[in-house]
Amino acid sequence: MADASPPPDPDPVGPAPAVRPFLVTAGRVAPTASGRPMPVETQVVATAEGLAVLDGLSFEQHDIVAACRLPQSVAELAARLRLHLNVVRVLAEDLRAAGHLTVYVPDVDVTHDASVLRRVIDGLRAIPNSRGVLRDSD
Amino acid sequence: MTATEPATLAPADQGAAVRPPLPVKMVIAGGFGVGKTTAVGAISEIEPLTTEAAITEVAAGVDDLSHTPRKTTTTVAMDFGCITIDPTLKLYLFGTPGQERFGFMWDDIVEGSVGGLVIVDTRRLDDCYAAVDYFEHRQIPFAVAVNAFDGKVEHGLDEVRWALDVSDGVPVVVFDARERGSVRDALLVVLELALARTQG
Repeated sequence: MADASPPPDPDPVGPAPAVRPFLVTAGRVAPTASGRPMPVETQVVATAEGLAVLDGLSFEQHDIVAACRLPQSVAELAARLRLHLNVVRVLAEDLRAAGHLTVYVPDVDVTHDASVLRRVIDGLRAIPNSRGVLRDSD
Repeated sequence: MTATEPATLAPADQGAAVRPPLPVKMVIAGGFGVGKTTAVGAISEIEPLTTEAAITEVAAGVDDLSHTPRKTTTTVAMDFGCITIDPTLKLYLFGTPGQERFGFMWDDIVEGSVGGLVIVDTRRLDDCYAAVDYFEHRQIPFAVAVNAFDGKVEHGLDEVRWALDVSDGVPVVVFDARERGSVRDALLVVLELALARTQG
C-alpha cells in the first residue's frame, strides 16, 4: 500500500495532526441532518466526476477522493489519512453531495440476512490455520 | 439516510468504476491489553489499522458524588482489520476498547454489527464486564472467548461463566488470540449464533 508510515511505531495513532481536527470541517461534527452517523464500515468510492476534478480539490477532500479510487470503508479512510473518524464522515457527506463520491451505507437488513451470514461463515471456514498458506498483504 | 444508497441494491453511479463489497461488521471487545488487536491481526488480511473513535462514558455511581448521570465523550484508539470473503462481501473486525468502572455506549462503533466477541483474561475478569453488559442489553449475539495466555487458563470455563453470570445461550470458549485458526473458530461460534437467531 502507499502507506508511508515508519515501521514499528511505539505510538499506534502516530503524531498529532498539525491542524485541529474539526477546522477542516468548519466546526461541523455531525454528518448532516440526515440522522445517524455513517457506520464505520460504510463503503465510499470516488465517482468519475470526483476523479476528474481531483486537482481542484483542497487537501483533505483531495486525499479522500484520491484514496477512494478503490472502495474504502470510512474507518479505513480515517486510519490511512490519519483523520478523525468524524471528520471523514463530515467530509465524505460533503463530497457525496457534490457528486465526487458515492457513499454506500450498509443496509442492516441485508448484512444480517441468513444468506449473507452463511456466506461469511463459509468464507471464514475456508481460512486455513496457518498464516503461510494464504498470501499475506505485505 | 435517504440521500445515500444501500450497499447492495442500488446501481453504482454512472462512471463509478468499482463496486464496493457489502461490509459485514463484527466487534471484538474486552479490557485493555486482553488481546483484541492480537486477535484482529491474527486473522485480518491487512495489518490492523488504528483510528480514533468517540465513545460515550457514563460515569459509574462510585465516581459520581452528585448522583446525576454524567456523560462524557472520550476519544479512544480503535484497531480494526478485514477479511475479503469474496469480491462482493467483506468482513470487518473492529476492536473496541473497554475499561472497568465505566459503562460505555459504543453505538458509534457497534451499530449494525452482526455479533460480538468478548475477549477475557481470567486474571482480570472484571475488565470485560462492561462489554458483556453492553452486548446483553443491546441483544447483540456474542460469545465470551477466554484468551489462553501462554496456553494456560487460570480458571475453568464453568468458573468464568459463573463469574460473568452470562446466560446459558452465551457460548464461552477458550482460544488463543495469536492463532489464526483459533480466532477463526471463535468468530464462527458468534456467526453461528447470529445465524441461529435469524431462524428464530
